[in-house]
Amino acid sequence: MIGNVRRFEPFGQAPIRVIDDDGRWVAPFACDLDEARLRAIYRDMRRARRFDERLSTLQRQGKVSFVASAAGHEATQVGAAHALDAGRDWTFPYYRDLALALALGWPLAEALAQQMASRIDPARGRQMPAHPGSAALRIFTTASAIASHVPPAVGSAMAQKLAGRGDVTLCSFGDGATSEGDWHAALNLAGAQGAPAVFLCQNNGYAISVAFRHQSGSADVATKAHAYGMPGYRVDGMDPLAAYYVTRQAVEHAREGLGPALIEALVYRYGPHSNADDDGRYRPADEVAAWRRRDPIARYRRYLEGRGLWDDAAEAALAAEVKAEIDDAVRANEAAGRAPLGWMFDDVFADLPPHLRRQRDELAAAHELERDGH
Amino acid sequence: MAAQTIVQTVARTLAEEMARDERVVLLGEDVGKRGGVFLATEGLFDRFGPDRVIDTPLSEAAIIGAAIGMAVHGMRPVAEIQFADYVFPGFDQLVSQAAKLRYRSGGGFSAPMVVRMPAGGGVAGGHHHSQNPESHFVHTPGLQVVYPSTPGDTRGLLRSAVRGDDPVVFMEPKRLYRAVKEELPDDDATIPIGRARLRREGDDVVLISYGASMAETLKAADALAAQGVSADVIDLRSLLPWDQDLVLERVARVGRVVVISEAPRTLSFASEVAATIAEEALDLLEAPPARVTGFDVPYPYAQDRAYLPGPDRILRAVQRVLDY
Repeated sequence: MIGNVRRFEPFGQAPIRVIDDDGRWVAPFACDLDEARLRAIYRDMRRARRFDERLSTLQRQGKVSFVASAAGHEATQVGAAHALDAGRDWTFPYYRDLALALALGWPLAEALAQQMASRIDPARGRQMPAHPGSAALRIFTTASAIASHVPPAVGSAMAQKLAGRGDVTLCSFGDGATSEGDWHAALNLAGAQGAPAVFLCQNNGYAISVAFRHQSGSADVATKAHAYGMPGYRVDGMDPLAAYYVTRQAVEHAREGLGPALIEALVYRYGPHSNADDDGRYRPADEVAAWRRRDPIARYRRYLEGRGLWDDAAEAALAAEVKAEIDDAVRANEAAGRAPLGWMFDDVFADLPPHLRRQRDELAAAHELERDGH
Repeated sequence: MAAQTIVQTVARTLAEEMARDERVVLLGEDVGKRGGVFLATEGLFDRFGPDRVIDTPLSEAAIIGAAIGMAVHGMRPVAEIQFADYVFPGFDQLVSQAAKLRYRSGGGFSAPMVVRMPAGGGVAGGHHHSQNPESHFVHTPGLQVVYPSTPGDTRGLLRSAVRGDDPVVFMEPKRLYRAVKEELPDDDATIPIGRARLRREGDDVVLISYGASMAETLKAADALAAQGVSADVIDLRSLLPWDQDLVLERVARVGRVVVISEAPRTLSFASEVAATIAEEALDLLEAPPARVTGFDVPYPYAQDRAYLPGPDRILRAVQRVLDY
């Protein structure tokens, strides 16, 4: 509901769109976003794409060990982020949510620190790259174990419901996650509890190499919402305004105590699953090319240009600004150096127990020996 | 206060903690109106209401996962798994999420929560109502694991678990739920996690155990006393962290030790204790450390009692270390 008007009905046949592939407004309501917000959505997508490209370069240079590119997912991630009240609502991301985390305000230098496990990483270099998280921004720390964050996201929403302040939890995952038992357990619990959770499935058609038709006998993900007693929406995930408006409706629905919702955003990952994957083995090149022609950044730029909100000069200024920001972040993280050895034993527990103190001393002694040349 | 059983102690301690701290909530299957299948949450739903005593769907992943999410928000959830044997659908939540949350976020997030689970055999329950899965949890860095055997230890450790800042797997010896009674002082004392308790002092052999097997271990110590053999008896109470200092101190003094646990032998916690003793105190030993454990078979049904390390098997092991 937006201003007491429910704009989108759940379980529709066609994916929900707000702008078409040519950037023309096609929704049956007027845009109510101000110009600053409309430009910010563009900026967040473009910035995430540039950062993504630089990460691939850093990976080839051996400075980052792993990349799971979000290219092709930006419209959904950025649109959803703008529908949240960043810093108030909670977000439970998955490993491909770099654009989502950046759009929620994750500082780019901090995001790069996570990828490089540098000394300025607030997570202290504990995770492999592509694992966003920020306690300050209420972005739950990402786990590689697929769908394992969905039950905790429901617990977060239950806590928000008990607190009664109208805060919500957004939980994001890919299509593969919907096959996990934890995913079912979590959505079932959310439905039973009426928890203020918004589940966002970024369906890019493949769980690494396994196509969605082998993932599920269901024609789509949104339909599954029926079984949990919540609305399910299918969205054109290459349309940032569709992602924004549908997420906003689900968020407002949850804020008002009307319970959870499931959104299925149809997206495409342009690259392989990760730098360690070879997508040529399981999907045709012309399929990739066809989706790339529907690029969400180009499409949304056409919408902004149509409204006179963007031009080549703005694009050039943004490119220069983002390049400088990324360059600064690379320099800062290289200067900081890698997370030190001594951090290995911290944060297992609130306090260091005796057996870990002994093991830490054992490691320190071994390194002392190495330094002495023994 | 009248003498109370372990299961009554659990319910009373939870009530006290909930009254003391409004962030404490309970969740699980049948913990509400039913008061838990063992009555470990009896009366709490009526007293604290459905927002703080939450009946969940039948899903251990949902119960433990939801507890994690609530803990991240600063609540103090206490989740009940109806039998330890049923924790496995929620095992990934404990291992992948709760145990690693503080570590992988560099201390940004933590999961101060308790997962209670009745464990152990001797209740004619077959392999899905009798197991002792503590080694799985001890082997997962980031979880604290406790397994008390008396009402007093249950109260003191449960207080520490609820008030602590880390996830705690709280195992309860269901065979002893109503078998032991204790009159508890009216105090607010806690027992620090990681501290063992000397239950008997003796000079001839050290018996080390925990959880439900403490009952058989004490029976064995009585039988030994009748034979003129005096046994030191240590109740570990906490398995992670565990009290190496007390164990090594007592073993060094006596030189002979038997470790008793009803979990399957291979990689049992008894093995960890025995290995530590061998590594740290070999030159002070008069005999190799002995283990008396469950067998490496799925928990049997018809042979339930024979599977458990009873006083007879403990006495045979003691004889072995005395004769060495």
